[in-house]
Amino acid sequence: MRSVISPAIILRIREFGESDLLVSFFAEDAGRLKGVAKGARRSRRRFPNCLDLFCLSRMEYVDRGKGDMLFLDSCRLINPFAGLRSDFSALSLGSYMVELTEILFPVGVGDRRMFALLRRAFEALDQGERGDRLRVIFEGRAMSLGGYGIGLECCSRCGRPYEGRGRAVFLRTRGAIGCLRCAKENAMTPSLDPPAMGALALIQSGDWKALRRMGLGPEVVSQIREVLKLHIAYRLGEKLKTTRYLE
Amino acid sequence: MGIYPPPLENLIRQLTRLPGIGQKSAARIALYILGRDRELADELAKSLVEVKDRIRFCSTCYNLTDEDPCGVCADETRANGILCVVEGPGDQLALEESGCFRGRYHVLHGALSPLDGVGPEDLKIPGLLRRLGREKIHEVILASNPTAEGEATASYLARILGDKGVKVTRIALGVPMGGDLKYMDRMTLEHALNCRIPVRT
Repeated sequence: MRSVISPAIILRIREFGESDLLVSFFAEDAGRLKGVAKGARRSRRRFPNCLDLFCLSRMEYVDRGKGDMLFLDSCRLINPFAGLRSDFSALSLGSYMVELTEILFPVGVGDRRMFALLRRAFEALDQGERGDRLRVIFEGRAMSLGGYGIGLECCSRCGRPYEGRGRAVFLRTRGAIGCLRCAKENAMTPSLDPPAMGALALIQSGDWKALRRMGLGPEVVSQIREVLKLHIAYRLGEKLKTTRYLE
Repeated sequence: MGIYPPPLENLIRQLTRLPGIGQKSAARIALYILGRDRELADELAKSLVEVKDRIRFCSTCYNLTDEDPCGVCADETRANGILCVVEGPGDQLALEESGCFRGRYHVLHGALSPLDGVGPEDLKIPGLLRRLGREKIHEVILASNPTAEGEATASYLARILGDKGVKVTRIALGVPMGGDLKYMDRMTLEHALNCRIPVRT
């Protein structure tokens, strides 16, 4: 039995028995994991206020070989992201991010980049950022890390490379763009203009410096949001439970 | 087919539907009930049915009660005009047991939790707003738990109560009695310092 210490973000907690907690968390090294924290609801020393929703904590856990349920030994709070609890819109957006992460990353699938994305997104929420800009950045990058990146290099029908000029349309069944010769623009095949194409490419690759230099205007955000809305609904095959609180 | 006779299997299955009770605990409880006098089983069954038949929400504060209005709402000796908002009946009971609050309560029956599908429309908020004018409330104490959901619920309520002309307060957060500063986290200490009070000298 090896004890592991890793930074982790708390995704869900559930009361279990008299004083235990069932905790779902996303660890930096190992991805999404589940564990039981014995006596956590009474412990002031081993788990002092560190197992609350969305907290970034330094988690110490042991795999005792009992299925996928780990034993949490102790925990220390690193960042509570207090801004996430300051209003319902922040709580809702944070919850949406957690739900999307849970769907894209099954238990035990590790990805440091996803951990970093979740952490950055929560930091942004903590600092008061709300709304569609943060949402599309998170969605675009998370879908890409989860293996559902949108193909932006060439028309998915004729193969003509996209060279950064002119509009392209999004074809949800292909999860990729199409040129205007191959597809017409309508509500189910929304278009992206060159700045939106460029921004989406940067979001998917996680090039935050370039994205910051470029800026993300409301029109660009609006175009990307329409595309991601269709893409997520089609690829995941379900509407996320938390989306109704974002409207 | 299970290892126990069907009626016993059925009892174990029903017990595992309760929160925090797994297969082993359910089997232990079922075998205990089986091993005791019939009286225990009769009383238990009777209590379960009675609680479902008689317990309902108080039409004023939404606490669980067997008579409407509940004992607290019907008590004329309690202070009017001050309302303590709690997440659940257990929280109300804890405050009541402490004996330090003599005002009225309002039970929300939950906290905002998008991950669990709980939004503002699922809480007893309309009832709270109705009481403000009807009972001439001048102060609302937000006593939701200091968790992410509880804090978000408190800030949501503070926002909608803000323009109703009542004083809105939040219970103090910080180092608990008997606590040890060296084991406290950053957020708790921050709250404790922000909520510090003058000491009478």
